[in-house]
Amino acid sequence: MYVIKNAIKSIFRSKGRNVLIGIIVLAISVSACLGLSIRQAASKAKDDALDNMTITAQISFDRNSIMNDMRPDSSGSGGFDKSKFSESMKNMQGLSVDEMLTYADNDNVKDFYYTLTVSMNGSEEFEAVDTSEETDETESNDNGFSDEFGDMSGMMKPGKGFTIGSMGSQGDFTVIGYSTDSAMTDFINGTSSITDGNMFEEGTDSLDCVVSEELAVYNDLSVGDKIKVTNPNDEEETYELTIVGIYANSQSTVTSGDRMFGFSLSSDPANQIYLSYNALKSITTKSEENATISTDENTGMETTTAMPEQVSGTYVFATVDEYNDFTIEVYDMGLAEEYVVSSSDISEYEQSVVPLDNLSEMALYFLIVVLAIGAIVLVVLNVFSVRERKYEVGVLTAIGMKKWKVSIQFMLETMVVTVIAVTIGGIIGATTSVPVTNSLLKSQIEAADSKESGMEQSFGRVPGNMMGNMPDNMPQMNFDKGDSGFRGKATEYISEVSSATDITVLMQLLGIGVFLALVASVASIVFVMRYDPLNILSNRD
Amino acid sequence: MSILKIENICFAYDKKQVLKNISYEFEKGHIYSIVGKSGAGKTTLLSVLSGLAKPTSGEIYYDDKNMKDTNKYEYRSKYVGVVFQAYNLLTKLTALENVVLSMDISSKKIKDKKKVAYELLERVGLSKEESNRRVLKLSGGQQQRVAIARALSYDPEIILADEPTGNLDSETQKEILTILRELANAGKCIILVTHSDEVARMSDYVYQLK
Repeated sequence: MYVIKNAIKSIFRSKGRNVLIGIIVLAISVSACLGLSIRQAASKAKDDALDNMTITAQISFDRNSIMNDMRPDSSGSGGFDKSKFSESMKNMQGLSVDEMLTYADNDNVKDFYYTLTVSMNGSEEFEAVDTSEETDETESNDNGFSDEFGDMSGMMKPGKGFTIGSMGSQGDFTVIGYSTDSAMTDFINGTSSITDGNMFEEGTDSLDCVVSEELAVYNDLSVGDKIKVTNPNDEEETYELTIVGIYANSQSTVTSGDRMFGFSLSSDPANQIYLSYNALKSITTKSEENATISTDENTGMETTTAMPEQVSGTYVFATVDEYNDFTIEVYDMGLAEEYVVSSSDISEYEQSVVPLDNLSEMALYFLIVVLAIGAIVLVVLNVFSVRERKYEVGVLTAIGMKKWKVSIQFMLETMVVTVIAVTIGGIIGATTSVPVTNSLLKSQIEAADSKESGMEQSFGRVPGNMMGNMPDNMPQMNFDKGDSGFRGKATEYISEVSSATDITVLMQLLGIGVFLALVASVASIVFVMRYDPLNILSNRD
Repeated sequence: MSILKIENICFAYDKKQVLKNISYEFEKGHIYSIVGKSGAGKTTLLSVLSGLAKPTSGEIYYDDKNMKDTNKYEYRSKYVGVVFQAYNLLTKLTALENVVLSMDISSKKIKDKKKVAYELLERVGLSKEESNRRVLKLSGGQQQRVAIARALSYDPEIILADEPTGNLDSETQKEILTILRELANAGKCIILVTHSDEVARMSDYVYQLK
């Protein structure tokens, strides 16, 4: 007991020494608190982002594996077999809805939905929204393109219905059939909303549809009106849809400027028509039944008038772990090796946490350096302190105080000073951690953005646009989340943390303080144990 | 019956023999003076008796127990009080704190240590005000009195004192010697190292080191 009392008295007796140690520990603890807080904030922000994220994944062909199969073997004999590659690619068939549903039975899958996408044309009374600027001075070529674009044959061309190879004609409208309400992500996340009428019944066979406000205004349509859409491969094949609702989309816009670079009218979100999967499927089934197949005499290529359709299935997972498990288990359920499970959400998430990860890593190195330097400084200070107190050790042991008790007293002194300094350091660190973390995070994001834009400039592109050099006044395109393949907008980084220092950080900080005090005390214990009272007292100056 | 006994004690600093086959016995209730020329080994013998120095050979018995089997720290903190020639007080502490600390270290149950310490300090001639002064602010003589008070604080069986009156005026010297005599009469064993003939004369036994 007297050891504790003596230690506390001794702290006050040697104010100078202990204030110096306190200041050093305070500096270490503020730095350590910031380092720990940054790491904790980064970890928490990442967890929160993950928790708030719905992970969606698709099953698609693994083109890379087919490419690898076509590569020359290790002996170097033979080259890349182009014909075999073309054949393999032709044989590639997307999974049917039934196959997709089989894999949706996996326990890890929280939800599954699918869409059917078909390209269709309008009719005389129903035209696609066209924002392209056509002037009298600009002459059009046979394909309806301005000459200023030069020879663009073989490329996607803007304007009304055009032909793309064996796929047949591309219509002016993108008609999407949704399996369930949950498939309509734009409506779920609030990007789109019904402004008039209602959404069609989930799973209905009726040819009820919803159209964009822009399209409705453009064609003077209202809820209850009927619209006629046609097969772009066969203008005689028409279908009548009933408008049950009109929606507004707050984000997706494609301007005339964007369309100059090769987008058809159907790529304009205003020209998207939504209906249920079953309704659209009934249309494509009819189209297939009524289709005529012709063979090109020159190429021998078969062309059908049936509307080409594209089915896309989306698996929804609650956690990353469940997604990871699914990517493994799906092959046990019979998925062929040529298919791969991928998630753009995971990629986007990984991209969004890059600055945070960098900051966290930087904080770790900073923490290690601070602790290493801090430990060295404290050990040195303690060694000097004990040497200075050599006489005190001699007297105390000469009058019968055991050496280990003297060591404990010295250790307690260091511990008390350290804990006080760490507490103050923790308070200062906790107060400043959020602004400091956000400030550092901002620098990291700026650095990442600058690196990204620098890279794009090296490629001669305007940062944030994938279309090459465009005039400054050219509007930018905003693609919806999940539109992979194009990099239309800068990565959305996690740019702010709301809290940094929590009880975990404070406990870690206290642990660090105790650890530093123990490390520093070891030096004094070693010295105290080595001292001989008689030598100290007889050799005293 | 002797409380402290040394048999054939030898002690050497490096290769220099300081003590050679010293055998003495000390009993309770007596004052012993160890005298001798400078360098004769008086202080060394006191260090050996206090357990601070380990003899190169020979045996020391405290209360018939071989010192080899005794915890030196316990021996110094409970059974023997040492008054060092250089006082060896803790200079950042007050006179009172030095005495109380010594009581704390001894682990002896003493009620109201502060009061006992004040009384002891008063007994060796220090006022309350002086007792509350830091040791460094006291004169040499006053420091020596604090050292004596500290040695007496936990009521040890044996008092070892190296020149206990060396820095004291004749009047205080007399007072200290009176205290030592009272302690001896109370059954304590007092062992003094001294150059003073007066101190030697008031002793019951004088051991001459050559």
